[in-house]
Amino acid sequence: MEHNSAPMNQRLWTPWFTFGVILIAIGAVLIVYRFIAGLGAVTNLSDGYPWGLWIAFDVVTGVALAAGGFAMAALVYVFNRGEYSPLVRPALLTALLGYAIAATAIVIDVGRWWQIYNPVLPQYWQGNSPLFEVSICVMIYITILIIEFVPVVSEKYKDSKKPFLRSLSNKLGPLVNKYLMVFIILGIVVSTLHQSSLGAVMIAAVERIHSLWWSPFLPLMFLISAIAVGFAVVTVESYVAARSFKRPVEKDMLARLAGIIPYVLGIYLIVKLFDLIAYGKVPLLFADWWGLMYIIEMSLLVFIPFFMLLKKSVRFDIGKLLNVSIMMIAGIILNRLNTYLFTYQPRPGETYFPTLVEVLVTAALIALLFVGYKVLASFFPVMSVSTEEK
Amino acid sequence: MSVNRRTFLKATAAGVGGGMLATQQATAARPRKALDTDISMLNDCTKCIGCRACQSRCKETHGLERSGTDPRYNMPVDLSGRTLTLIKMHKQDDFFTFVKKQCLHCGDPSCVSVCPVSAFEKLDNGVVSYNKNACIGCRYCMIACPWDAPTFEYDKALPVIQKCDFCKDARLAHGLDPACASACPAGAIKYGKRGDLIKEAHARIRENPEKYNDHVYGEHELGGTSVLVLAPKEVRFEDLGYKLYGDTPPFRLQEDIQHGIFKYFIPPVALYAVLGFIAYANRRKDNDATKKDDKKG
Repeated sequence: MEHNSAPMNQRLWTPWFTFGVILIAIGAVLIVYRFIAGLGAVTNLSDGYPWGLWIAFDVVTGVALAAGGFAMAALVYVFNRGEYSPLVRPALLTALLGYAIAATAIVIDVGRWWQIYNPVLPQYWQGNSPLFEVSICVMIYITILIIEFVPVVSEKYKDSKKPFLRSLSNKLGPLVNKYLMVFIILGIVVSTLHQSSLGAVMIAAVERIHSLWWSPFLPLMFLISAIAVGFAVVTVESYVAARSFKRPVEKDMLARLAGIIPYVLGIYLIVKLFDLIAYGKVPLLFADWWGLMYIIEMSLLVFIPFFMLLKKSVRFDIGKLLNVSIMMIAGIILNRLNTYLFTYQPRPGETYFPTLVEVLVTAALIALLFVGYKVLASFFPVMSVSTEEK
Repeated sequence: MSVNRRTFLKATAAGVGGGMLATQQATAARPRKALDTDISMLNDCTKCIGCRACQSRCKETHGLERSGTDPRYNMPVDLSGRTLTLIKMHKQDDFFTFVKKQCLHCGDPSCVSVCPVSAFEKLDNGVVSYNKNACIGCRYCMIACPWDAPTFEYDKALPVIQKCDFCKDARLAHGLDPACASACPAGAIKYGKRGDLIKEAHARIRENPEKYNDHVYGEHELGGTSVLVLAPKEVRFEDLGYKLYGDTPPFRLQEDIQHGIFKYFIPPVALYAVLGFIAYANRRKDNDATKKDDKKG
């Protein structure tokens, strides 16, 4: 199917957009204050809870939710499923913004942020640390996402009236396009690595997190769940963007895409069940409230979506498909928060609940995703328009 | 998007080559366990009288502010960015004992393994040292430490990670004993070589079996630690905040997995090659199909 992408030249300042911009403005002020006053002044982080909402949600969950970019790239470019190509640019934009937000959250959260570039300095390399691996891969991946976005920008300016912009776009665009495949595959490789390493981070914390969530297979679990939910995020994002720009929803395409999800979830389910049985964790499911929590999380992320998405009637009903996708997103949020925060065992006597500032900064970063998407998709050819329409 | 076969192959090869260059790995000269020659400290709970002189002298030596709820006194409740060691009281019915908290200077430290920027280093003399110029303040060391030793200066705009440094710069460099050991009036903190102190610890247990818990904490825990702890017979180490661990630190499994994924960079490069091949094969299939169509047309 032929398709073209076009900027959505539409009114920006809708009430929701204004609300988002206000949230971002509040967040920006709070972030400046955090850098002046220190982490203790604005967060409830402590020596017992070194990682709170910002790391567990903004960074770890955010990176998982942004996996749609690499999952779609792999599907379309490597496995040659060109029929989904209209979804690639929107997914790329979501990933770009998602990673930019996660990176921002990291800079806000780390204590010695002015040395944030240290992982790239060879004298500080540390091959044993999964977090070193994550930081390097995330830096590479953000660079790749920017490179992948170059053709989108150059497409916009290829007929620009300004000679400099026009010639730059006409040089850079084709150059990047020529080698795009190299970057796409490299992007998939580093995504595979850092999505799994985010799971590996918690292996050392075996004494800290609940046995139901701790597993030597954490890297594999984090990778597979991120891919599965990546497709769910693409679905929701595609629907929300279509509604926001008052365009038809790509119902059939999303329905076919959803057909892939049960396969990925099936693999995840096998790994999870193997982990439960091989390490004798089954009794823990019925031991206390955490067992119930595990069952709820698994129901949202796997059980219900798996069986529902096997049904054609669900996949081709956009309302139901949307609900299942949101359910999966809720499931993965719960999974990442359980692993990084909820089941975390601090030193005795410590508790954690995020401050209003932590919540508002998180809200600002989420708003940045929506506002950024709207702005960039308005100005650049991201959204797909069918050829007849043009 | 158009990629012709030759540039595609060339570029793929370039990506693989780049990966190969990054295969260097550092090798540690020091065996990853506590050694008899390491400098060490024996903390004997049965001798501690709870005066907290060690606590105060430590703060003085490191220039750290008072801590606790009342600013007139120095009453920290736990280790923090201002408190690198402290004495805690443990009560159990009518019985009570004191216990000293600090970084144990592991033989195979978790902080060294997990730190993404090599800010922690196990020195040849056994001290686990911290380098603030490397540190980015991610606080992963605090998550991974089995004894909650590293702490963070949450109240500062330009913070560092804090933990016991064995007074290596402030005192050891001048030939002095660590501040806490020199301050203790009760002989509860003994400074020396680890091998000698382990012998001494066992001798104390042997001479007073009715007084001591029959275990030298830190002799074997997670590869052994430089700080050794003796406890009274009445209490379990777990209740003093010294969990009984096995000999192998949990991060070793993490390292094995991590090194498996990156073994000589083969798995990532192989993944790149496989994905590249699949993409190439699919593309060729497509091109052939188009050619056939062209001929027919």
